[in-house]
Amino acid sequence: MAEGVASRGTPAGHGDVPGGGSALLRVSDISKTFAGSKALDGVSFDVRGGEVLAVVGQNGSGKSTLVKVLADVHQADPGGHFDVRDPDGEGYVRGDRRDQLHFIHQDLGLIAQLSTTENLDLSRPLGWRDLMPARGRSEHARAQELVARAGARFDVRLPVALLSPAERTIVALARAMNGWRHPNGVLVLDEPTASFHSSESARLFAALRQVAAAGAGVLFISHRLDEIRAIADRVIVLRDGRVVLECPVADADDATLIRAIVGADLDRTTEAASTFGDVRLKATAIQGIRLRGVDLTIAAGEIVGISGVLGSGREELVPMLFGAQRRIAGAVEIDGTPIPSGDVGAAIEAGVGYVPADRSRQGALGQLNVRENLTLAGLKSVQRRLGLIPRRRERAETMRWARAIDLRPMQPERPLAQLSGGNQQKVVLARWLRTDPHVLLLDEPTAGVDVGAKVSIYSLIRDAARRGTAVAVCSSDTAELAELCDRVIVLDAGRAVCELRGSDLTEEAILEASLESTHVSSGART
Amino acid sequence: MSTNLQPDRTQGDDQTVPPPPMLPAEPTRWARFKEQASFRNVSGLYIIAIMIAVFWYHEPHTFMTMLSWKLLLDQQAIAAIIAVTVCVPLSAGVIDLAVGTEVGLGTVVVAWLIADKSLSVPLAFALTLVAGAFVGVVITMLVTKARINSFIATLAMSSILLAVISWISGEPIPVAVNGFSTIANGELFGLVYPVYYAAGVSLFIWYALEHTSFGRRVYATGANPEAARLAGIRTSRVILGATITCGVLTGFAGIITASQLSTGDPTISSGFLLPAFAAAFLGSTQFKRGRFNVPGTLVAVALLAIGVEGLQLWGAPVWTPNMFDGVVLLLAVGFAQLQRSPTKRTAAIRRVLRSLRPRDRRAEA
Repeated sequence: MAEGVASRGTPAGHGDVPGGGSALLRVSDISKTFAGSKALDGVSFDVRGGEVLAVVGQNGSGKSTLVKVLADVHQADPGGHFDVRDPDGEGYVRGDRRDQLHFIHQDLGLIAQLSTTENLDLSRPLGWRDLMPARGRSEHARAQELVARAGARFDVRLPVALLSPAERTIVALARAMNGWRHPNGVLVLDEPTASFHSSESARLFAALRQVAAAGAGVLFISHRLDEIRAIADRVIVLRDGRVVLECPVADADDATLIRAIVGADLDRTTEAASTFGDVRLKATAIQGIRLRGVDLTIAAGEIVGISGVLGSGREELVPMLFGAQRRIAGAVEIDGTPIPSGDVGAAIEAGVGYVPADRSRQGALGQLNVRENLTLAGLKSVQRRLGLIPRRRERAETMRWARAIDLRPMQPERPLAQLSGGNQQKVVLARWLRTDPHVLLLDEPTAGVDVGAKVSIYSLIRDAARRGTAVAVCSSDTAELAELCDRVIVLDAGRAVCELRGSDLTEEAILEASLESTHVSSGART
Repeated sequence: MSTNLQPDRTQGDDQTVPPPPMLPAEPTRWARFKEQASFRNVSGLYIIAIMIAVFWYHEPHTFMTMLSWKLLLDQQAIAAIIAVTVCVPLSAGVIDLAVGTEVGLGTVVVAWLIADKSLSVPLAFALTLVAGAFVGVVITMLVTKARINSFIATLAMSSILLAVISWISGEPIPVAVNGFSTIANGELFGLVYPVYYAAGVSLFIWYALEHTSFGRRVYATGANPEAARLAGIRTSRVILGATITCGVLTGFAGIITASQLSTGDPTISSGFLLPAFAAAFLGSTQFKRGRFNVPGTLVAVALLAIGVEGLQLWGAPVWTPNMFDGVVLLLAVGFAQLQRSPTKRTAAIRRVLRSLRPRDRRAEA
């Protein structure tokens, strides 16, 4: 196992590699410190012309910070730097670097209503010529040619909304290469396949191969081992901001990679298995766009975690249990009462609370104040005859909850939008805790939440479970699941592939299950 | 390991969610009063006070007389009813551009029912309100079932209602029935009835919006319909309630208009929409920081009316009232916007000012 290859020497002798080209992107000794903790710690690597370099690592390993540093969103700590060169080893100056280093984020930045041609035209600088009528035919031909350079063929006149996810990514790819002076630029793709079906990935990979063959360097960020095997020449593993492994993909087997990603330290202390009450939530054969039949039962007092990589169907399950999204098939019972698909009212009536993942869109009502947000679910309990809400009583109730959740600042009349993310989340959680729910469904309960609020959210969740609430926690944060849950189910390709509990329930085990299953299931498919 | 992982995530979040400004935990009563009486919270009241002082000084014999104030109240009663009414759908997130024609419809329908169909006044009155409610139901159907943007749905609705109005009657319908004109022209304690109607409607809507669970649901639906739905609020029912309320009350305003003139005039619709929206939006900057509310709307109606009245008494040219309405609306809303969300530029200016301050102190010392 090639642990500890943290820092490579000065990049003097890396011109000749089996892959072919010289280094187009050279990252040397980049660190990034946030408030005293290092998100990136002396990261160095090269991306050479004609190769695809994969960067893997779990959440919080520094992948996204690395992308942000490369994109100049974050400024790297003094001492480290990166530069983009042309194949002859000449460095680009700042402005040209922009043109030769291009990013494709998960959100591709395409305008859905416009056609491929029009989207490609957007990147051209505006000038007086744009007031002349657009020369449709030649523009379309040029777009077709750009797309063809990525080895794809589709109608460039269609709005990109009608294209498949892979085709859209190819449009973004074509647009990225549009501005290059020559084909030896560097592409950075940040988990581009997260929203893909597996068959789609192959098309994108073919396109990437073609781009690389023309001399470009590709930095491919992912957490799926099967994809890395399919596309990358070399792989870098990040953990805790350090490069812990760097080698050609062919040289590393899966076990080695997983060990490098997870790290071999830390054992979880085993807790005594607690006993739980009756089954409160019973879901059978839930099917959605990605989910292909998931069963789940949660007993009173139990906290069950739901894990899985992006695209595994994880993000669909909780909204479907609640009814925020319609399910295609499957049944949900709360305390034995069946809940029809998509019926939020029935779910709430049966005693279900739901904290959605997208707080600003689905959870918080930013213009309303804390009090109004808090009492919104279960308004009936504060209202009197004719729907009157006695102000004093509502205030008293609000103050009680504001103290319980340690609201900061303690001002229940402030609009919710003026609170920090953590306090907003606490209010949204308290909205449901106030209704004393039988089942509490939490989707990414600590997304965008600071450490202090995280701790109090955990204790609120545990308290609720102790009072007999059945809790489901869906999270992309494996550390959170390991810390909070009694049991964790791991989803992959729309099915529950693994269930962890007791001493087996560790962060590493969750991660290993989701990564390995991804590999195994895709291996079975091919 | 878990502790090692957290910094990256949380720090990343810190980039997007700025920490809340440090504030005193519980504001004192004085601080709360200062906040409530601050210019940005009740700018309208201050502007009204200044205007009254200026006009009083300049036109002491005409402006500050009982008669001119009584006339002002009489004239603005219907405008106030419509402006306050339109707050309800606006609060629920429905931009009802059909309010003007809904009033017009009420005017023509009540006149037509009494004059042409010879119905009794109370029956015609009731049927007109039902017609208004029906328009509300249709708007809700378009917005919630057909999922048409309310702006477009009500714009189309307004055009359709104009057609219906001129279909019923192309020319004014005179109503010469005993008792009909007293609805609007009767007086009590020296004020015409519509002033009391306006007070009643305002009180009703204020209470419904701010002190009942219906109002809470209306505001929640308007603020974030998706979050409201997921909190168990049946948003389409809330919207239905709001548009029906609006339809009935605008119908009522139409009846008063018809009674005032003893005529069902099919051409009056166009004059109601803009003043009502101007007052509602201007009112939303008062008292409640960007939330449509009744007291603010009434202040806005008063502000616009007093301003226009004063300018007319002053002998300002004919175009001044329109100019005044537009400028006041822009200033008030723009000012509220500026106060609410410090843009990058104002934040930068504040930072510069703050950085200057300690240096000043050192210079003094």
